[in-house]
Amino acid sequence: MAHVAPEIFNGLILGAFYAVVAIGLSLIMNLTGTINMAHGSFMTLSGYLAFAMVSAGTNWWFALAAAPILTAIVGLAVERSLIRPLYKRDPVYSLLLTFGLSLIAEEAYRLIWGGNGVPFAPPGFLQGSVSLGFTDFPAFRLFIAVALLVIIVLLVLFLQRTRLGLRLRAAVQDNEMIAALGTNTQLLYTINFGLGILVAGVAGVLAAGMLGLNPQSYSNQLLMPAFVTVIVGGMGSLYGAVVGGLLIGVTVSIVTLYIPAASEISMYVLMAVVLLVRPRGLFGEEGIFG
Amino acid sequence: MSNGKVDRKSFLTTAAITSAGLVTGFPAILPSRAFAADEIKIGLDYEYTGVYASYAQSETQGAEMAMDLWNARGGVMGGSKVSVVKEDNNNNPGNAVEKARKLILVDKCAVLMGSISSAVSLATSGAANALNTFYIDSGGHADSVTGDKCNYSTFRTCHSTWMETHATGYSLSKKGKRWYMIIPDYAFGHALQAGYHDVAKKMGITFVGEDLTPLGTTDFSPYLTKVLAAKPDLLIVLVQGDDFVNCLKQTSQFGIVGKIPIGGPQVELEAVWALPPEARVGFWGVEWYYKGASVIGSNNKLANDFIAAYRKKYGTPPTARSAFGYITMDRMLWTINEAKSTNAAKMAKTLAGAHFNSIWEGGGYYREVDHQLMWPMWLGSIRAKGTPSDQYDIFDIVDRQEAADIEQSVAEKQAVCHMNWPT
Repeated sequence: MAHVAPEIFNGLILGAFYAVVAIGLSLIMNLTGTINMAHGSFMTLSGYLAFAMVSAGTNWWFALAAAPILTAIVGLAVERSLIRPLYKRDPVYSLLLTFGLSLIAEEAYRLIWGGNGVPFAPPGFLQGSVSLGFTDFPAFRLFIAVALLVIIVLLVLFLQRTRLGLRLRAAVQDNEMIAALGTNTQLLYTINFGLGILVAGVAGVLAAGMLGLNPQSYSNQLLMPAFVTVIVGGMGSLYGAVVGGLLIGVTVSIVTLYIPAASEISMYVLMAVVLLVRPRGLFGEEGIFG
Repeated sequence: MSNGKVDRKSFLTTAAITSAGLVTGFPAILPSRAFAADEIKIGLDYEYTGVYASYAQSETQGAEMAMDLWNARGGVMGGSKVSVVKEDNNNNPGNAVEKARKLILVDKCAVLMGSISSAVSLATSGAANALNTFYIDSGGHADSVTGDKCNYSTFRTCHSTWMETHATGYSLSKKGKRWYMIIPDYAFGHALQAGYHDVAKKMGITFVGEDLTPLGTTDFSPYLTKVLAAKPDLLIVLVQGDDFVNCLKQTSQFGIVGKIPIGGPQVELEAVWALPPEARVGFWGVEWYYKGASVIGSNNKLANDFIAAYRKKYGTPPTARSAFGYITMDRMLWTINEAKSTNAAKMAKTLAGAHFNSIWEGGGYYREVDHQLMWPMWLGSIRAKGTPSDQYDIFDIVDRQEAADIEQSVAEKQAVCHMNWPT
């Protein structure tokens, strides 16, 4: 039982990762219908860009800020050239396209940075552990918890308190009406995609310091749990993504403690239970952020 | 779905399609090269994607260097050039069997080599044997390959898990008698666990914790919090590949490094290079290393030429995995050339028991009773940042153990390994 408290704490941090990745996925999915199977690849790209910057001598904090922005620019280019033509088509087209992109990306990373993982460590003062009373806990994970919380709060404020956020939410509700009212919906879609990738990029740099960085880094480790989070939390719900992510993170951590072999399947069992009891997900409703 | 929005049903349907693609190992199903007629084709069935991808790449690079040397000398069997056909088994035994059958039946490969995962090696060994095809397991360590699952057409180059645990276990026991083990939950891990249990009986070791971790684990925090609470004398890390990188990184993050000594049966250079310097710690089994008189000798032309050529071609020194690939291909082609045949039984009879010199000091041979390559193992401690002249030189080799001292005896192997020679 002495191990449970640290594991719940650790599960909340892992769950926050799932939530942030799920929010990025949801942002893109709910407005444009794009199932972005390359979301994990964008996270990996951001991690590698941060690694490249730090290896070239830049400050870690600068890399944390710059790498997601550069990744978002790449995301904007991908959206403009490859994904935009598929908006009016069945979502399976975008799924297949982004799945293909993820495979290309993995091989590209392997060619550029090698098949081995690369060492990417957080700044020196974040590398040790901190005593929390009930356990010693990595300082970097505490920093990640704070950073992810800040990201979620900033996203909520952006979406609910800014004009652009209002437009995004309105477009999800009825994008024909918002277009009729004069909003450039194509530009809106692009900004929305870039925002989702920006969020993924920040998560990617943080994950690189915690989980390691190699060409296939986050496609399975964080992307699949993020999809499960979207379903459990309810499609279209920001709060659902947060609650779903935290619930899945804690579940996986506790199951790992007692039945490691069942750790991966536990989130799918949770998903099945939620769908049986509440098919729309915990907070599922139409509209992007309710 | 026609309005472009995603509903739950369509999302789940398309997610299922994608999952099926991932499970079948796409893009592993894509073949890798064309070949010319009148060649001896060697099938390489490796994990080119997944957690062991970097090791598979290293072994393939070593193998191709050996192949190029033979081709430069005129090939085998009086002038036949050698080529490779590569298939990705995606670290999945089922895929490995399919790829093995494809390599043999469709690509007409005369012989096979591979892989990294012990589970994959076992599966490939069985598949090759069913088709009476010669196979050398270059990098799968589990004892079963040359133990109870041995067969006449399978040989193994890398050390067995028994050799690894016994080479390291006796030395590690001097650091303390209360051990905690983190074990990958598949054939390789189980075999290592059994080996260390045998060492424990002989050396009075007690296990204060043993955790089986799924392959591909990225977050080791549940296990590391238990390690901190158990306060062992030694933490034995048996996971490999990306799992090893994540585990060691997180032992550093959790403050275990410096508090609890860490060690294990083997460590791969590829994995250590991926660690930040503060996580490069521990005392490990080393299966081959590119420096050190006790490893490569002081005047070993084969070793020196291999190391220099590899470094020139690839920019990094060869690793133990590179050595496995090189030795395996070299012996494979020697055997074909010597036997003047690719018939599995003829090749097996030719290779078994034949002593040879190679890229380590002292030579070795594939033992007749089990087809295990009998060659030494070394012990090394990690030097975090290399040397001023070589950033990659991170091992201090501190000891060498001879094969006969660390592998099971002929009598012990005869009790479990029964070769199914064709009549």
